[in-house]
Amino acid sequence: MELHLNRVDYIQVGVTSQKTMRLLPALGKKATQKVAIADHDGILTCFGMKKGEAVPVFKTLPGQKIARMDLGGAAGTPQEKIFVCSGSQVRGFTKKGKQFLTFEANLTENVNAMHVSGADLFVCASYIYNHYCDCKDQDYYLSGDKINDITCLSSENLSRLVPVLACQDRVLRVLQGSELAYDIEVPGPPSVLELYNRDIGEEVLYGTTDGKIGLVQIGEDSAVTKWEIDNDKTKGGILCIDTYDIVGDGVNDILVGRDDGTVEVYGFDSTNEPALRFDHVLSESVTSIQGGCVGKESYDEVLTATYTGWVTGLTTEPQKAEAGPGDEVKMSKETQSKVEGLRAELEQLQVKVLQGREQYQQTSQSSTAVSAVPVFSVNDKFTLCQDDASYSLTLEVQTAIDNVLLQSDVPIDLLDVDRNSAVVSFSECDSEQPNGNFLLATYRCQANITRLELKVRSIEGQYGTLQAYITPRLQPKTCQVRQYQIKPLSLHQRTHSIDQDRPMNRLNLVGQFSFAEIHSWVVFCLPEVPEKTPARDSITFYFHNTFLGTQLEATYCKGEGYFKSDNISTISILSDVLSKEATKRKINLNISYDINDDSVSHTLKMIHPKLEYQLLLARKVQLIDALKELQVHEGNADFLIPEYRNILDESANLLEEYKKQPAHLERLYGMITDLFIDKFKFKGQNVKTKVSSLLEILNNYDLNSLLEFFQ
Amino acid sequence: MLVPIFTLKLNHKINPRMVTIGKFDGVHPCLTAATQAGKVFIHNPHARGQRPVAHRLSQSAQDSDISLLNINQAVMCLTAGTLGPNSTGDTLLVGSQTNLLAYDVHDNADIFYREVTDGANAIVLGKLGDIPSPLAIIGGNCALQGFDYAGNDHFWTVTGDNVRSLVLCDFTGDGKNELLVGSEDFDIRVFKEDELVSEMTENETVTSLCHMHGSRFGYALANGTVGVYDRTARYWRIKSKNHAMSIHAFDLNADGVVELITGWSNGKIDARSDRTGEVIFKDNFSSSVAGVVEGDYRLDGQKQLICTSTEGEVRGYLPASKDLKGNLMDSSAEQDLVRELSQRRQNLLLELRNYEENAKGVSETNSGMGVIPANTQLQTALSVKPATETQKAHVELSISTPNETIIRAVLIFAEGIFEGESHVVHPSAQNLSGCVRVPIVPPKDIPVDLHIKAFVGGKTSTQFHVFEITRQLPRFSMYDVTVDSSAALPTGRVTFSINDRPQRVVMWLNQNFLLPEGVESPDVTFNSLRGGGLLSFSMASNGQITLRTDDIDLAGDLVQSLAVFLAIEDLSAEADFPTYFEELRTTLTEVDEFHSVHQKLTAAMADHSNYIRNMLVQAEDARLMGDLTTMKKRYRELYDLNRDLINEYKIRSNNHNALLACLKSVNQAIQRAGRLRVGKPKNQVISACRDAIKSNNVNALFRIMRAGTASS
Repeated sequence: MELHLNRVDYIQVGVTSQKTMRLLPALGKKATQKVAIADHDGILTCFGMKKGEAVPVFKTLPGQKIARMDLGGAAGTPQEKIFVCSGSQVRGFTKKGKQFLTFEANLTENVNAMHVSGADLFVCASYIYNHYCDCKDQDYYLSGDKINDITCLSSENLSRLVPVLACQDRVLRVLQGSELAYDIEVPGPPSVLELYNRDIGEEVLYGTTDGKIGLVQIGEDSAVTKWEIDNDKTKGGILCIDTYDIVGDGVNDILVGRDDGTVEVYGFDSTNEPALRFDHVLSESVTSIQGGCVGKESYDEVLTATYTGWVTGLTTEPQKAEAGPGDEVKMSKETQSKVEGLRAELEQLQVKVLQGREQYQQTSQSSTAVSAVPVFSVNDKFTLCQDDASYSLTLEVQTAIDNVLLQSDVPIDLLDVDRNSAVVSFSECDSEQPNGNFLLATYRCQANITRLELKVRSIEGQYGTLQAYITPRLQPKTCQVRQYQIKPLSLHQRTHSIDQDRPMNRLNLVGQFSFAEIHSWVVFCLPEVPEKTPARDSITFYFHNTFLGTQLEATYCKGEGYFKSDNISTISILSDVLSKEATKRKINLNISYDINDDSVSHTLKMIHPKLEYQLLLARKVQLIDALKELQVHEGNADFLIPEYRNILDESANLLEEYKKQPAHLERLYGMITDLFIDKFKFKGQNVKTKVSSLLEILNNYDLNSLLEFFQ
Repeated sequence: MLVPIFTLKLNHKINPRMVTIGKFDGVHPCLTAATQAGKVFIHNPHARGQRPVAHRLSQSAQDSDISLLNINQAVMCLTAGTLGPNSTGDTLLVGSQTNLLAYDVHDNADIFYREVTDGANAIVLGKLGDIPSPLAIIGGNCALQGFDYAGNDHFWTVTGDNVRSLVLCDFTGDGKNELLVGSEDFDIRVFKEDELVSEMTENETVTSLCHMHGSRFGYALANGTVGVYDRTARYWRIKSKNHAMSIHAFDLNADGVVELITGWSNGKIDARSDRTGEVIFKDNFSSSVAGVVEGDYRLDGQKQLICTSTEGEVRGYLPASKDLKGNLMDSSAEQDLVRELSQRRQNLLLELRNYEENAKGVSETNSGMGVIPANTQLQTALSVKPATETQKAHVELSISTPNETIIRAVLIFAEGIFEGESHVVHPSAQNLSGCVRVPIVPPKDIPVDLHIKAFVGGKTSTQFHVFEITRQLPRFSMYDVTVDSSAALPTGRVTFSINDRPQRVVMWLNQNFLLPEGVESPDVTFNSLRGGGLLSFSMASNGQITLRTDDIDLAGDLVQSLAVFLAIEDLSAEADFPTYFEELRTTLTEVDEFHSVHQKLTAAMADHSNYIRNMLVQAEDARLMGDLTTMKKRYRELYDLNRDLINEYKIRSNNHNALLACLKSVNQAIQRAGRLRVGKPKNQVISACRDAIKSNNVNALFRIMRAGTASS
């Protein structure tokens, strides 16, 4: 079924957070719905569309940044009360804009997720979950990792309200009162939860920061995963989900908004599997999404809000091509008045800005005045992509970006991203002291680019900081610096369990250190570990290496730490960094190793299929051009052996594959070399001189000769 | 939205920039492009399979519409058009590294096949100046050559570096075509026949040029820049991270004015307004664009824009019909307008908020904000620093704040002096201070605008004020004024007379050199920091100026710069550069040697090929007679011979490359001698030098270079 949606822009408000726009329930049968949206300026705006123009219903005064919005109301009545949270405060507004509730949650941290259901209010602030009923404290829970979102199920089958927390450590936590009922493992860090059916039901949709979507059915003491959608095309992470029957086939479709600006509609086919029906790319993160009817009666639409505060509809209303008699495209009256209004407003603003500029200039004459430009909002994300084991950095600013300076004090590779149109320029670096720069690159952006996407490849064992200086096109010109840690084991990712049968190397630490200290060292070494020290005596984390598939288990408590991995290099890096960190704090560490010689050949065997595949691919790609030339020369390819003909037939695929993973082979070689050096390091031998003969073997690769060389 | 009216998959790779359309039978347009293995393919969908297969031409086995032309050499450039006076169809011209072939596709016959020692990197066909017959003009290593129908060369001149792009257009507006030449020394030069009338300096190799309309033309550079010039003034330019593969002028929106169509290395095609550079249409190919041409490919009387990709995909676009009203893109114009206005409003609001918050004063708690005193102003200074033990000679740009604020980082955007387009200085956290010194080593003597962005704030700030300053680096910045006159004066010199006051010359000196105090008299001596020795400048009371330097390029640059400053139209000069001339003399003898070696090798090769023929016959005879031992022996010999041939080929190609390098330096010498003069004397020198080289009169050549004229 084809779905055509046309884009309509409604209004622009300030910068918005995730899930801060909702449609109020329709009053009559056919009437259009009102939209409530809250932004970082603390303004809650409610508007409706009249003749193509946004007419505000109410607008609150500016205040603290609003992080979430939800709708609520007494059970059985229309859910049309608007709840917003800013700081640690929750406020309630009626649909007319009258504030009827101010509730101070008395949390030390800011509320970042909220759910309202009847008289029940659920709020989460980083690790803390709180449940209030009629503003009275009910339940409390401290989560093991950051809470990204919360939702709450109520169903006839369930005896009570069931809150579900989306936690950064890749689990959904289902609570029972103040206790954890059970947790559900999901394939990525979940960023958003939504009920599949808002009124009743026990099915919850989740979206992850690495772009996956799934549906789970929550039961009393266990859950069932119904389906999952992978992120094959490496689109952005999920920021918002809604369900609405936009296709009009009687089944609720799933609307998805991603942080790379993609809006998707998934429908269900006859086998009840989700299938992509429609997608559209807006130029900035989609922070909220909902289906409904806003612009025109009886035309359904997908309403989205973006990071910079644009409220945009994708409507089923066909775009009329008004072909007037003149040469110019005739504008509809509504648009004309809209444009005129805007122009008038612009002129007024221009005058004000000129005055502002003059005053600002004048202050520069005074010797006592200071110049302090308010901090602009930057939406950034630095995540490890599992597919190609590289980091992707996205930067988003509310106005157009002028340029971005990237600086790094560790050797990293900056990769080209197709979607990114900015002109990159690498500057000469003085990697020696005193400045110690390994990367200095500027990105000069084209006009009207508010979002920049970069890809960075790191090397395990080399750690430091990557800094981005972002300068937007805004007077007076300022730039903001953002820092990103490149951790020693940067290519590792948290996982739920590991294969215990593999041959493992062990690293044991004993010393006079506290639980908090060893936890901070682990945070320093590995990504995706919560910064807060766990509220337990001991803890175990599992990781896997996204590039090689090797694994790591870290168990530690006060005074003791146990690490085991099938990759000897991982153990080597850990022991180096940990002893360095301990020395910094003058703590005496007793380090012991238990090296399993089988692990090296096991790791090599794990690398083997990857390496062999890459070598074959490289060889095939190398042949393509020559074979094509032969083909042209001879007129056809019939005389070639089938293997070569096969290469010719698949040349396009091969080239694409090859392009997708630049320097893959070099990275594999690098890791094998590390493995070799580390293996003998633990034996107390320095084999750096033998590396050249290792490379020779790799050039004429054969698994057995490699295994032999490692003996 | 505009969509292609036809799409073809040709199954042949297309070499970038080697695509043209020719009506070889006078009626049917054929897409012609160079492909792999030294072949040219001709796509002729209109006259299917009527070609005789002989000579160079062969039918493609895969596709009956395509015939292949065997060139047996790597094709460098090709074009098609009317060359002969009475030929019915277009002539196909194919240039390779050593030859130019004019070929009649219709009759399947060579028209001429000329050896061109300077190679053919670019080709253009058309009328130039007052020369009556159309010329095929090729640009090679520093040289330009024009051939007529009979293969006679009617036009020859030299240019500063290897030619990469050519176009004919009426630049001066006199109703006659001028030749525009883009070369690897970043210059676009305009030749009115063999007279150089204008020169525009860009900041990268000029890879493509195309005529728009009137005196307006488009250009593309190797660093991803495309833009439009009207005469010597640049209208607009944009830079992309991709490379422009091909540019073409075509009126896609049917408004009567052509747009600049650019095909990019990432497969994007865009059409930009010639006035503003605004994109009015874009489309995407799956692989890099190879060429953009136009032609009536459907034979319905309408010209189509035809775009080809390197993988052989072809798309044709008709100009937009009236009802699209110039709106070729998907989105609606009114939405865009509203969006743009809202965006502007939002920007103004944000700026206003900045001022308001600033006026309110600072909350003490937020130390990351980067509060600086409002009267902070950056001081910048440029100075020349001679080489020390630790550092090479450079121009130092020092930037400092007047108070306790620090400079977190400095970004300098400038064209042509850094590896990329920017240079960054980012001190480590321990070394932050209020003063940053940036060493700059401009590789060429060009005036450069340095766009400096300095991030100023406090030591722990996370937000910084950005100070934007533009400083100009004068043209001759790498020269340090010296007082030490003990060093030996250079032997090379140029002498010429001007009718201007010395004060004007002093003014020029102050503007074009980095002088700490400025000078009062036009008698100065500089030390070249690039290691070129001394440069001395003196002016006698009668207006005679003497420049002493051993660097003939520098002398030329100085003469040209001074002439522009003083608005001198014609300037003749006497020059002597003993060292350089000696080198040139050696080069000339080398050229002769290489030529004779070349001839010898060619003869040897002919011998060998005779051997091969004999040996092959003998070997086959032996095989037929069942004498396997002899056969094996013959074949072994053949194998040895083959190896010899390959070795010889290597020698030949080395010899050829050396010859090319020598020829290039000879061409450059002529160009350099010309640059010591301005206007008419300059052209006289160039043409006289050419004559001297043609007649192989080496002594006359040097006389001309010294005196500026042949007779004396």
